[in-house]
Amino acid sequence: MVLRLGPFKIPWLGKDSHKDDPYWGFFIDTPPADLANTVTELIRNAPEGNVFPTKAELHTPEITSSHVKGMAEYFGADMVGIVKLSSNEVPSSLPSPPPRGRGEGEGEEAYPFAVICVVRADYDPREAPGIGGQAPVQNGLFISFVLSAWIRELGFRATAVPDPDAEKLAALAGLGTLNEKGRLVTAQFGSNVHVANVIRTDLPLAADG
Amino acid sequence: MRAEKISETLDDAADAGGKATEAEFPIPYLGRSVKIVGPHVNVDMNQSPHPKNARGELGKPLFNWYRNTVSNDPLTRVSAPNHFADRRHFLTNLINRSTKGKINPQKVAVDDPAAMTRHIKAVAHYLGADVVGIAKAHPTFLYAGSRYVQDGTAEDAYQQETPEDLVRKFPYVIQATTAWDYNKLQAHRHQIGDAAYHVSQMKGVLMLKALEGYIKELGYTALRGVVTPQAAGVAGGIGELGRNGLVINKNFGARIHMPDPIMTDLPLVADEPVDIGVEDFCKICRKCANTCPTNSIPFGDKVVFNGIEKYKINWLTCYKLRPYVHDYWGSCLTCVAVCPFTKPNVWWHGLATWALHACPIPARPALVHALKWIDDRFWGVTRATRVSWLGYDSGIKPGDQACTVAGCTASHEGKSHSGAVDGDIGYYAPLKENTNRFVKRDA
Repeated sequence: MVLRLGPFKIPWLGKDSHKDDPYWGFFIDTPPADLANTVTELIRNAPEGNVFPTKAELHTPEITSSHVKGMAEYFGADMVGIVKLSSNEVPSSLPSPPPRGRGEGEGEEAYPFAVICVVRADYDPREAPGIGGQAPVQNGLFISFVLSAWIRELGFRATAVPDPDAEKLAALAGLGTLNEKGRLVTAQFGSNVHVANVIRTDLPLAADG
Repeated sequence: MRAEKISETLDDAADAGGKATEAEFPIPYLGRSVKIVGPHVNVDMNQSPHPKNARGELGKPLFNWYRNTVSNDPLTRVSAPNHFADRRHFLTNLINRSTKGKINPQKVAVDDPAAMTRHIKAVAHYLGADVVGIAKAHPTFLYAGSRYVQDGTAEDAYQQETPEDLVRKFPYVIQATTAWDYNKLQAHRHQIGDAAYHVSQMKGVLMLKALEGYIKELGYTALRGVVTPQAAGVAGGIGELGRNGLVINKNFGARIHMPDPIMTDLPLVADEPVDIGVEDFCKICRKCANTCPTNSIPFGDKVVFNGIEKYKINWLTCYKLRPYVHDYWGSCLTCVAVCPFTKPNVWWHGLATWALHACPIPARPALVHALKWIDDRFWGVTRATRVSWLGYDSGIKPGDQACTVAGCTASHEGKSHSGAVDGDIGYYAPLKENTNRFVKRDA
């Protein structure tokens, strides 16, 4: 709720509360009867596009990293981190990387970096299956879909898949620490966060942490 | 003789039918900025710019621009319609072509439409909307012919029904929309301005799709591609229709999208049209008409077009410019950026629009002159602000190559690390004097 005085709004006198809304519980907690009514399923099932054949001219890895983070924040991420990966940090769900040109990238990791985007979650998506409860997942899917598509359009590999170690990677990127349940706890939002699909890429970046 | 009698009888019946329709659907009040003043033929979207262009009816340059060009900007390739290299990277396309979900057979009972209205607005905001309005549907707001969603499908089981029948069954229209980033919009006629426009458009499409799905989960119908967005926006109190043909909102000015709204039978309470002084401002201001690169915005008074009294822009000349500037930008946005209502959503902007709203109508011209003087003095008669964002820089002249990112030591082939690009002037293509020759002013 906000206090209104003519043209002025004073939002800091109280945060939005939905306790007077008789339908809010349905929005947050009732799982959809038809998954086709959700945007999350739509994005999850979307096929991955091709890598643009010409690589974009890049700045230094540090500047490229700041641009990737800036773009993710523009798409809606609340926190973004970058981690350097080793070969043992590859989930089984990861598709095999698209081939490069002959001789290019031989002997290198297919995806040397991971970009981790975190969004605020007012409700824990693991416990709130309604369309509203899944809103952080929807926001995370939007960010990882568009950001990975943008990196592919820059001419580099990028793939966004669900990752059981996403929160561990977020902690490695310095976005927070893991609590005893293995959940990410951030300085800004506490544990009210959702880690989006991890984007693995060969875009030359500078790792955090 | 007999034939004449039959004809008279039919005419009488038609008149009686028309009167009955008018009694059932009285002409809606749309605020002071736009009026329905005569017979209106519902618009067939197949005759609107994009479908006409897709059929090649607007000439080869426009057709090739629309169908056969790939943008040179990676962000545009993932966020703008039609200029992608890989269609799968454009999320809006995926959403617009998706399978429609089913209506939940277990309908949520709505005892209090006012509570549901507050709920659906809260849901829209929670899903990412910046502005939400509910319009009472009217047959004149609906498209003629089939459903229309750009680059997608919106078919439903009610396609054969008349606008009147649709309004009887689905009496409300929800218009929820997103605003464009003010700072990036200052680099209009530039890929930075495109980013503001296209990314917020994608977010809006996603939000509306989720809202459509949620209404179906509540157990009600949600039709898309049925209603003219501007009509729903004005009738639903989102804003007033400006000289530039855009709906102008009290918080965001003209920098809001008017996406495809949702027509529904969910019991709601409609909002009323608003008066924020756009009518009074547009009579005097004319900044959009003066700065439009193609002179597509009228300087003169409103006209009556298809029974609607409004400022009528020339959409064809607005559209025609695009193939020639494809290398620099995709969406012009000049009339949005210069509109004095387009400001950051902060207290002093709220104060100005509140003053206009509260001022008695006869006294408004004096206030408009004062506010326009302030706008010209502090924001400029035209916009040429330099904006730098993630490696983009509107201070680089169109056609020049330079890297202006501070601290960049990468070797950019063919680009200078230009310290020569200085000052706060932004460059936008094309300059107005270069377009005057192919589109003349109307007054």
